[in-house]
Amino acid sequence: MKKFFNRLLILALTGAMALTVASCGGGKTNDDNSAGEVDPTTGSTIVKVMFHVDVKSTEGQAYKKRIEAFNAAYKDRNIKASATYKARSAGAAGYETELLNNQVSGTLADIITFDAPNTASYAKSELLYDISSLVPDDVKNDFFSLNTYNGDLYGLPIQESSAGFYYNKKIFRELGIDVSGYTVDSPWTFDQFKDVCAKLKAGNVTPVDMRIDATKDEMATYLLYPFIYAAGGEFTSPDGYTATGYFNSDKTADGFKFIKSLIDAGYTSYSIGATDFFDGRVGMYLSSGWTIPDLDNKYKAVFASRDDWGLLPYPKSVTAASATGSWSLGITNNHHTDKSAAKELLLWLISTESSEAITTATGMIPARKSVNTNYAEGSPEYTLLKQLETTGRERPVTVAYPTFTTCFNQVIAALGTGDVNSLLNTQADTLQSEMNRLKR
Amino acid sequence: MTGSALIIAAVFIAIFVAFAVYDVLIAKKRSHKKYKTGTAVTAYLMLLPAVVLAFLFILLPILYSLGYAFTDYYLLQPNSISFIGFDNFKQVFEELAKGGTIYHALINTAIFVVGVVPLQIGLALGLALFVNKPFKGSKIFKVCFFAPVVISLSVTSFLWLQILSPSETGLLNSLLGVFGVAPHDWLRDPVTAMPCIIVLSAWQGCGYQMLIFLSGLSNIQKSLYEAAALDGAGAWHKFTAVTWPGLRSTFVYILITVFIGACRILTQPMLMTGYQNHTVTLSYYMYQQGYTYRWVGYSSAVALLMTIVIGTITLIQRRAFREKN
Repeated sequence: MKKFFNRLLILALTGAMALTVASCGGGKTNDDNSAGEVDPTTGSTIVKVMFHVDVKSTEGQAYKKRIEAFNAAYKDRNIKASATYKARSAGAAGYETELLNNQVSGTLADIITFDAPNTASYAKSELLYDISSLVPDDVKNDFFSLNTYNGDLYGLPIQESSAGFYYNKKIFRELGIDVSGYTVDSPWTFDQFKDVCAKLKAGNVTPVDMRIDATKDEMATYLLYPFIYAAGGEFTSPDGYTATGYFNSDKTADGFKFIKSLIDAGYTSYSIGATDFFDGRVGMYLSSGWTIPDLDNKYKAVFASRDDWGLLPYPKSVTAASATGSWSLGITNNHHTDKSAAKELLLWLISTESSEAITTATGMIPARKSVNTNYAEGSPEYTLLKQLETTGRERPVTVAYPTFTTCFNQVIAALGTGDVNSLLNTQADTLQSEMNRLKR
Repeated sequence: MTGSALIIAAVFIAIFVAFAVYDVLIAKKRSHKKYKTGTAVTAYLMLLPAVVLAFLFILLPILYSLGYAFTDYYLLQPNSISFIGFDNFKQVFEELAKGGTIYHALINTAIFVVGVVPLQIGLALGLALFVNKPFKGSKIFKVCFFAPVVISLSVTSFLWLQILSPSETGLLNSLLGVFGVAPHDWLRDPVTAMPCIIVLSAWQGCGYQMLIFLSGLSNIQKSLYEAAALDGAGAWHKFTAVTWPGLRSTFVYILITVFIGACRILTQPMLMTGYQNHTVTLSYYMYQQGYTYRWVGYSSAVALLMTIVIGTITLIQRRAFREKN
């Protein structure tokens, strides 16, 4: 009996060892064909897609419905979509960590979502597949923005984002501030922006929440970079490999100096509470289109209807510029060499129907121009759409984008006390070093 | 990469099996009739799961990290890794010399270690002495003091973010406002940010060390205190002559573990301030380089240097506090 027990133990332990070692052996299965895994029951080619949102969220549910619709439509063509949802638990970095882990372990999904500024680094590293030849030209031309690198297409968005200044109409009315003339076609200037701030401050209202405290992730960069373009500045050379002379140029400094002047004048600060605007304590709030559903539905005590709030475009200086860029879909360079099935799913997800269905759920702007939006002229959505059409400028396309964000955030975080030129010189050096490292 | 992992695993298993066989044979020779081979084999098999886990989750990552430190491994290109000798180490020292972020990380980590180690150990010892005396409600105090340990660092960091909020409504600022002190941006100010993180970390961690001190205190014989009392020793004299010598080995253990933990600080600055020169630490720098900037090779070189420095200081500590018989 004892001998039997010992042998059983040896067998169990050997089995456990074998399993452990086998589990380290990557994600490729025996059921793969060149286009994807094969469903053993139906024989369909499975196309895997990974989304950056929680499946329970409004956006996640919208993706889920489109995937279900795809599976119903492509049942006869033996293609089946299988989606995984990885919520951005720690900002965008949480999802990206998952993505990088998959890349290292060779288990990348066939299609992924990715934040638009990562296009260059993902494309250069061949994580993304060049989809230029897979997407018809008429489809490409229908998008507000494309995710390109060195002239090749690597991703397409479903929805677009732009930002602007939400303002409390009640406060503005009480203080006699008229901003009705400031539209995308006739934007306000940096000076006019300051005048409005001065009037708000004189009325004992915190003028504007510029989100200068949001420097732990992409938020501050996304919302504030248009100010630098508006002042005539640039961040990098067109090829994305030079920062010196761009990131620390005089015009770039002018953009940052404008933001600093708002801090120095007490028009904005790092200590504005996250809900101060929604509680009626702040006159203006810089944010993206995702704030529209919140103002429509959540903060009824202060914003009972759209008569109580509005949206103003970014102010201009040398030129007008506004934020663009959202998460995009791209095909990966994983071990499935035949991208035909992945192409079908990609085209399905970026179709006008998908774009319409998903933006209806999220309240964002559709990425395709042909999607009928019917926004009323002067509405917040209309302002965002007009900005995208006329003044939208994407963040710099550079393989060193993660470092760019860090550098930008460090400048914003130190603006309150630091000297702009000195801050920009330091960060330009850091960014240039990283670019040199990546160029090698 | 999977292939190399399997080769390392095979080598490791071969070494383990060879050692086990050698040990069994030697033991059999020495212990004559009493020794049973079956018992020894069973013992080694019992040991095997723990060894496999230790290999997979401790030894293998260390070996990989050691190897990557000499490569140009870029996370987005896991299939194109080249050996680059000491280039990563050279770059670390160049960055240090020109006062780059790693320089700030090193200084901040040193400040944190120098601040948190005495504070946390002092607090832990004080709390342990306080709750060690039997009084009504001492158990409640023990639970309260230990509570922060079981709360995750993320949660405590967010809790302290509320306390240290720069707005007038922040807990600390409103409290100070009562005394007419103007609101302060505690975490953005380079002078106050690190001290705040030190206080938070000491508060969060001292409960655990308190328990270890308590177990050390329970090992000190009461007769020693009685003898000291008979000799007319006061409270302070009892502490220096009886308690402290009795806690010496416990103290050394706590000193080393708190020191190592402090050198690895990452979560608090990451959640409370983000990647800023005035709070970045070596672990945060390593994370940023390895994950955000994707330079695994360079990050591994920093990790290796950090291990060498921490290991050396730990050895010095052990030698300095070694008991002399």
